[in-house]
Amino acid sequence: MDQERLLKQIIEEVMKNINNGDDTAKISNDIKTLANNSSEIDASSYPLGEKIPEKIKTPTGKLLTEITLDKVINEEINSSDIRIASETLEMQAQVAESVNRHAFANNLRRASELISVPDDRLLEIYNALRPYRSSKDELYDIAKELEEKYNCRINANFIREAADVYEVRGRLRKDL
Amino acid sequence: MAIDEKLLRNIVEEVLKEMNLDNTIDSNKKEFIPEEISNMEIKEIGDVKKGTLPNEVVIGVAPAFGVHQTKTITGIPHYKVLREIIAGIEEEGLNYRIIRVYRSSDVAFVAHDSAKLSGSGIGIGIQSKGTTVIHQKDLFPLSNLELFPQAPLLDLETFREIGRNAAKYAKGESPNPVPVRNDQMARPKYQAIAALLHIKETQYVDGNKKPQELNVEFK
Amino acid sequence: MKSKRFEILAKRPVNQDGYIKEWAEVGLIAMDSPNDPRPSIKIENGKIVELDGKKRKDFDMLDSFIADYAIKIDNAEKVMAMDSVELAKKLVDINVSRKEILNLTLSMTPAKIVEVVSKMNVLEMMMAVTKMRARKIPTNQCHVTNLRDNPIQIAADAAEAAIRGFDEQETTVGIVRYAPFNALGILVGAQVGRPGVLTQCAVEEATELNLGMRGFTSYAETVSVYGTEAVFMDGDDTPWSKAFLASCYASRGLKMRFTSGTGSEVQMGYSEGKSMLYLEARCLYVTKGAGVQGTQNGAVSCVGVPAGVPGGIRAILAENLIAMMLDLECASSNDQTFTHSDLRRVARTLMQLVPGTDFICSGYSATPNYDNMFAGSNWDAEDYDDWNIIQRDLKIDGGLVPVTEEEVVKVRNKAAKVIQGLFRELGLPEITDEEVEAATYANGSKDMPERNVVEDLKAAQEIMNRGVTGVDIVKALYSAGFEDIAESVLNMLKERVAGDYLHTSAIVNKDFRVISAVNYPNDYAGPQTGYQISDEKWAEISNIRNAVSPEDF
Repeated sequence: MDQERLLKQIIEEVMKNINNGDDTAKISNDIKTLANNSSEIDASSYPLGEKIPEKIKTPTGKLLTEITLDKVINEEINSSDIRIASETLEMQAQVAESVNRHAFANNLRRASELISVPDDRLLEIYNALRPYRSSKDELYDIAKELEEKYNCRINANFIREAADVYEVRGRLRKDL
Repeated sequence: MAIDEKLLRNIVEEVLKEMNLDNTIDSNKKEFIPEEISNMEIKEIGDVKKGTLPNEVVIGVAPAFGVHQTKTITGIPHYKVLREIIAGIEEEGLNYRIIRVYRSSDVAFVAHDSAKLSGSGIGIGIQSKGTTVIHQKDLFPLSNLELFPQAPLLDLETFREIGRNAAKYAKGESPNPVPVRNDQMARPKYQAIAALLHIKETQYVDGNKKPQELNVEFK
Repeated sequence: MKSKRFEILAKRPVNQDGYIKEWAEVGLIAMDSPNDPRPSIKIENGKIVELDGKKRKDFDMLDSFIADYAIKIDNAEKVMAMDSVELAKKLVDINVSRKEILNLTLSMTPAKIVEVVSKMNVLEMMMAVTKMRARKIPTNQCHVTNLRDNPIQIAADAAEAAIRGFDEQETTVGIVRYAPFNALGILVGAQVGRPGVLTQCAVEEATELNLGMRGFTSYAETVSVYGTEAVFMDGDDTPWSKAFLASCYASRGLKMRFTSGTGSEVQMGYSEGKSMLYLEARCLYVTKGAGVQGTQNGAVSCVGVPAGVPGGIRAILAENLIAMMLDLECASSNDQTFTHSDLRRVARTLMQLVPGTDFICSGYSATPNYDNMFAGSNWDAEDYDDWNIIQRDLKIDGGLVPVTEEEVVKVRNKAAKVIQGLFRELGLPEITDEEVEAATYANGSKDMPERNVVEDLKAAQEIMNRGVTGVDIVKALYSAGFEDIAESVLNMLKERVAGDYLHTSAIVNKDFRVISAVNYPNDYAGPQTGYQISDEKWAEISNIRNAVSPEDF
């Protein structure tokens, strides 16, 4: 149901209510639905897996509730299905913000971008960020790759910032 | 056929001679470490060249080893530590080089730098307090083949076994790891002192100095 | 003449410990070093340009990271101007809520937060911990390791530890290459004991992440940060690489916390002459700035260093408290031997056990200490009854419950059989019935038959090479006839799809419900508020096997 129509309906119900004074349960339910449909999720929906499982999908488009032992045994669900999706991490970031944990929310947003980077490449990038592993150009190239290939804008900036700090602090690669 | 140590050495030496590699063996180093030694003299002979021969293990010592500090946390003299490790390597018929790593006093980096400079890719790192690691060049610096983190538990026999196992890895074997020892009372007794010793080792770290090849003469 | 009294005293366990005098110049000082910076902050155009007496142009890597990521600046100048004693009073005042405190503490600089806690004695700090702990319900974590990295024993000990009450379990290795087997052992063993227990395998950072991605573990903790730049480099990371690593974990839906502790910088040789507590505060700000939900802190493996200097145990409590003041989950150490004296080790633990923390021990050794591969814990399997009875004496919930021998034998046996079946189905070296039997009744690795280590190490490498994942483990458990354990392992994998357990102080209960500081925030506000032991729980804690009842006579 689109939000405008839902809102209209709620207002109509409220108007009706003023006249005959009941049905409050339905109204509060509708308000909840409206809240869930809007972009913001907060701690009241947490744990999401318990309270709004129907909104949690895997990156492969399967529902959380579809991940069952039977389906794993029948190979209808495999490893690539048992992963978190960007949308889910975004919802969790909003939950974090609603309880005033902004740095943690930022981490979840960086993470949300990294979902599409394959495991092996992610490990390589982490290792490239360790001290004395990379030249400044190499780190900038990684940033570019993240930005262009995987659309990781926050991470790309983060890595460029790291490269600049490493340069100032003498932590770029030195050869033996 | 029973192969004793001496015979094995001779054979290896022969083979290496035939391969024209005899110049890589400093026979002074191996044949004439006397049984009874009471000291050693360490000379730096320049930047370490990357090894090309697969029959060597590089032993890397931390910045203060054998000079500014001369015994481990339990009082084992450094010359004895080195001699045992060397003996272990030689028992397996391999050669060794000794280097000093300056850029870090962390045993993992000392060992990893040694491994990277070793022709076989296998290195041993030793701190002055005795903490030792066997490393391989392709591993992460803070990973390892074998780690002996509790310096107070290392005795001479363990150092010899460490040398032996490092040589076995260099030969491409998969040896049984040196049995891990654990004493939960080592920390209460030694940790604060270990910190002191490590602080003193770290005072000799030079982030810009390349690893130096050492000539060690046992007396 | 020699004093007989002194002769006896010299032999006491407490005098086998190593102590050193303060030496501020090299950082051998727990708190209040004369070299610690004075608190200060200057903000221009929304950016911190001076932090604790240092100008931006003089910032090292940690200063830059902390200034840009870890401090809420909107409130900062006001809070920094407040008197530290007044702030300390608010921390112990039950009428000032946790939320109000966080509004102040999240805007402090490292030097300021250290100054505030330095105004408090240990009792006041414990009161503050009671209020500031993030999760309402305290709990506990254990270590499950052994000298020989025997995976059957790990599974059996993990299962026992789970029924004893540990909500998180951690393993590590004697030999690094054993890591995949240890991770498997603790994963299935814990699920046999109690579905929902979180497990981890502490190894080198990149390897640890790899094990997590594959589904061999459900969280990570050994992600170390340090308080000076030089030591951070020896730890082979930077604040940026560590923050990126944190995001890598979250991108795979995996819970994680950082680790740090007083004494590590001095232990690793670069303290810049600062006090251990000030440097630890910097670690915690890096953790906060990286956006990590929590920390394992409290000197941890460096405990011998603060414990060797005056006031060191107080500093350890202070660092736990600072973690909580930064709204971080706190797994509060108590996990490493630091003394020969039973009296000292209990006194040290009461600091966290009485107020309760997110994880009082991180962890408690679920094996005899000779098998503890974290070089020994402050508590071990042979202390289980001591811990239980201390809980019963003080009416506190330290996370454990008494269990019967029958329950333990049963659950250890099942865990050993499950890992036997799992190994068979995954084509790993055989686990014999003799080994299952031994693990069922073992106290430690001395009671276990030896395995072929070389063959095990090859197989452990091989399952990494062939890309075995959590899903393969689920299938193998199912084929081995352990549908219930297959279901539990799958449910653990599902946690990473929903991501609820990424949040602060999350644990997972036996019904796979996430309990965290989001849905169970600590709301302590004085007597009869916050966490109260329920009647059922109290009955469990009180019911020790060796208590006689009046009817017995």
